[in-house]
Amino acid sequence: MSLRLLSLPCEARALALKQLRAVPARSFWSSTASQAATKPSGPEIYDVVCVGGGPAGLSLLSALRSSKSTSHLKIALIEGQDLNKSQQQYGSITGYSNRCSSLTPGSVKFLTDIGAWQHVNASRVQPYHSMQVWDGVSGSSITFDPQPTRSAPYPGYPPTNTSSTIATMTENANLTSGLFTHLSTLPPIDIHSSTRVENIELGTETEEADLSSWPIVTLSSSKQLAARLLVGADGQNSPVRTFAGIPSRGWDYGRMGVVATMRLSSAPGGDARIAYQRFLPTGPVALLPLPGDMASLVWSTTPANAALLKLLPKEDFIAMVNAAFRLLPVDLAYMHTLSSGQAEEVAWREPNTSFSHMQVPPKVVDVQDGSVAPFPLKMRHADTYHGQRVALIGDAAHTIHPLAGQGLNQGLGDAAALASHIEKAVNVGWDVGSSWALEGYTAEQWIKNNAMLGVVDKLHKVYSAESGPVVWGRSLGLDLVDKLGGLKGWFMRQAAGGKRGRGHKAAWMPRLCGRILHLKQLKSYNIRPHINNRRGTVEANPLYLTPRSPVEVPQSSFQPIILSLNRTITPAPITI
Amino acid sequence: MATIRAVRPFALPAPVRQLILSSRPAFYSTASSPAPPPQSTVSETEVSHFSDLASSWWDPHGPSRILHLMNPLRHTFIQRCRSRHPDSASSEKLRYLDVGCGGGIFAESAARHPQTKSVTAIDPTPQVIAVAQKHQRTDPRLMEPGRLTYLNTAIENIPLPPTPEQGVDILTCFEVIEHIRHPRPFLAQLLPHVKPGGWLVMSTISRTWTSWFTTKLVAEDIMGIVPRGTHDWNQYINVEEMKAWADKLPGWGSPQSMGVIYVPGVGWREVRNSESWGNYFFAIKKDA
Ligand SMILES: Cc1cc2nc3c(=O)[nH]c(=O)nc-3n(C[C@H](O)[C@H](O)[C@H](O)COP(=O)(O)OP(=O)(O)OC[C@H]3O[C@@H](n4cnc5c(N)ncnc54)[C@H](O)[C@@H]3O)c2cc1C
Repeated sequence: MSLRLLSLPCEARALALKQLRAVPARSFWSSTASQAATKPSGPEIYDVVCVGGGPAGLSLLSALRSSKSTSHLKIALIEGQDLNKSQQQYGSITGYSNRCSSLTPGSVKFLTDIGAWQHVNASRVQPYHSMQVWDGVSGSSITFDPQPTRSAPYPGYPPTNTSSTIATMTENANLTSGLFTHLSTLPPIDIHSSTRVENIELGTETEEADLSSWPIVTLSSSKQLAARLLVGADGQNSPVRTFAGIPSRGWDYGRMGVVATMRLSSAPGGDARIAYQRFLPTGPVALLPLPGDMASLVWSTTPANAALLKLLPKEDFIAMVNAAFRLLPVDLAYMHTLSSGQAEEVAWREPNTSFSHMQVPPKVVDVQDGSVAPFPLKMRHADTYHGQRVALIGDAAHTIHPLAGQGLNQGLGDAAALASHIEKAVNVGWDVGSSWALEGYTAEQWIKNNAMLGVVDKLHKVYSAESGPVVWGRSLGLDLVDKLGGLKGWFMRQAAGGKRGRGHKAAWMPRLCGRILHLKQLKSYNIRPHINNRRGTVEANPLYLTPRSPVEVPQSSFQPIILSLNRTITPAPITI
Repeated sequence: MATIRAVRPFALPAPVRQLILSSRPAFYSTASSPAPPPQSTVSETEVSHFSDLASSWWDPHGPSRILHLMNPLRHTFIQRCRSRHPDSASSEKLRYLDVGCGGGIFAESAARHPQTKSVTAIDPTPQVIAVAQKHQRTDPRLMEPGRLTYLNTAIENIPLPPTPEQGVDILTCFEVIEHIRHPRPFLAQLLPHVKPGGWLVMSTISRTWTSWFTTKLVAEDIMGIVPRGTHDWNQYINVEEMKAWADKLPGWGSPQSMGVIYVPGVGWREVRNSESWGNYFFAIKKDA
């Protein structure tokens, strides 16, 4: 009965202990404090314990609370940061946060459906309606405007996007703040904010019940929670994933994403806003519109370049961003070797460089103080999204290169899918922590996310090449894609969070393929599909499909034959 | 118990088969069968296999997987029956009696369902009731007093409700009747436990060449994993025969049925008008 302890770094432990002495557990909105008091000995029992109050965790809980079937579940949220303080800080922010995400229409629809979008500050979000993407080496370009989604790729194809919005730029803090406000309007959940998970281990068998399959979460406040379902929404270094023993694989790109909040000379594209992305050999640089003349920069580049950009004086940084969208890669490379003076370099190089004014964003004129920050870029994917009484969502399950702006959207997709599988499980009396309830979630999301991770990873690699056949090929690729409306439409739908397969009559086919692919992938890692280590079962086998709501299976042509055979072979009727 | 054999006979490990066989006498006695089956006691080896069985019953990839997967459709069917007859779709929470509960796959899910007040689940085989009770302990919610009660007994030993109104809202009997030699007296014993306006809900297999092929030819003759004679295909009951029986029952009506098909790799699917292919659900409602 070995218990698996979380290996927290020393400082975290020390900090947690300090917190323990200083402040007692903060459980506000607690509806269940009195219940806890009646049984002081054992852990308090919850249906769902969610570790992590980022966008993924908060949207899952919002979805669960806003659905009739799951609103009664007993839920706890554990978040290391002070959620109330973050809320207040965001309320008094000047300018825009540098952590922004472009939400696909699918994500916005999900947030609207659960009633959370109305709590997001609408004056601080910016929809955009077209995308200008071009290759910094070959110069070939592609314009994503909303038209292709309207024209059907084949007759009778249902339109997936009636509005013309490609995506909506939102500060992550605006989203989490809205989700947090939304939660406060719903039946209370127990929130342990500024509280870290100290330890997770399996429970024990007592006279009353056998909790040996239940994760018991010990908080820095020394409070213990028993989880019917433990959700890891705890980001890239997920302690929950570690507890469940679910491997996460991938690689570091050796690149940093430099983010910053910029002011432009004018709003790009006027009413129909434009997002810009240019592929440079060091990685893509993107400028995404925020309200008014503001924009969010995400520049993926080498760690050395990123370090330099962070240190540059303001006017040189601004000049570099303008250059990144206009000058030749060779000029840019040279300017990355200078410790200052980029502004003058750009001033004389730009007039001597030819570029299309249609293609480039309006000039950047300012950068918000303190907003330049580099993040390491990596690709990670967990082998499965569920284990015994454990589910992973968001960055705990996958981390993606930001070039397609999909990371947060995938997390919201996970939250939506997990909430719907929990709802389904509740409605048929399945234990929401059981494999029966969760395997459909892995099956639904894993393959979808894996495909996106793969495409984005390949895009990164293809566009990192500076010359040779790859470059000719890719310029041909972009030009071709630009000419072929149908293919472009497909790309657009993917970027916009294409229609979910659920509920679609023929959707079992892709799901089946998904399971087979997933199994193949596991095989290539040499993992046995079902690792039963007795104490913590890792079920890495979503090969099987759970039954879904009854669908009318198209009557196959051999049905009449079977029926008539049945009639012929059936013996004399019985009278009961 | 009968369930597993009926649905996927070729996937059973030896201890399960033995337990199934040992579970038969009670059903036979229920049905006042003239011929008692040969195996009637549980051997030592079976008992020593018991802990294995206990874990495999609820193992998501174990031999009962297919039954677990069928379970949601049982709820779908019950909900559909009740919604088609608004007088039985009251908002009051439901009381269930599950006859032939096995390891508790349906009983647990019914007890956990938000619309349920209580579940009494019975099975004549002590081993499977022990499995069910062991698993019940893994969910504190199911340990709440009165929520889920397992009894190691047969239906004839359950006292009749003192008044008809004290009967249960739903009496379930899944994958059992195909193993009863004389279903009519067995079914007659179930009827008085249902309250007026309540439902008797069953599932079984049609007597067709497809079911003969899977349960007799493949499982018994070709693969030999189930001893010959385990299933008596001639005892399978077709949906029309069920309907004919129900039509003649005084005080009962509204027969409902739903055909389901297991598609490997996809799961159970409701297929319209497939009752005559193999597995199907059948329900009748006691007049209010
Ligand atoms: C440069 C960059 C640009 C990006 N751009 C985009 C974009 O344009 N579009 C997009 O969709 N996505 C983008 N992303 C990705 C996006 O930011 C993430 O995918 C998203 O924040 C993940 O949300 P999450 O809720 O899964 O995890 P997180 O936001 O990481 O939240 C995890 C939470 O868990 C808490 N936690 C962790 N451990 C513990 C513990 N032991 N105890 C208690 N609490 C704990 C943390 O405090 C944190 O609040 C970008 C990312 C980067 C780096």
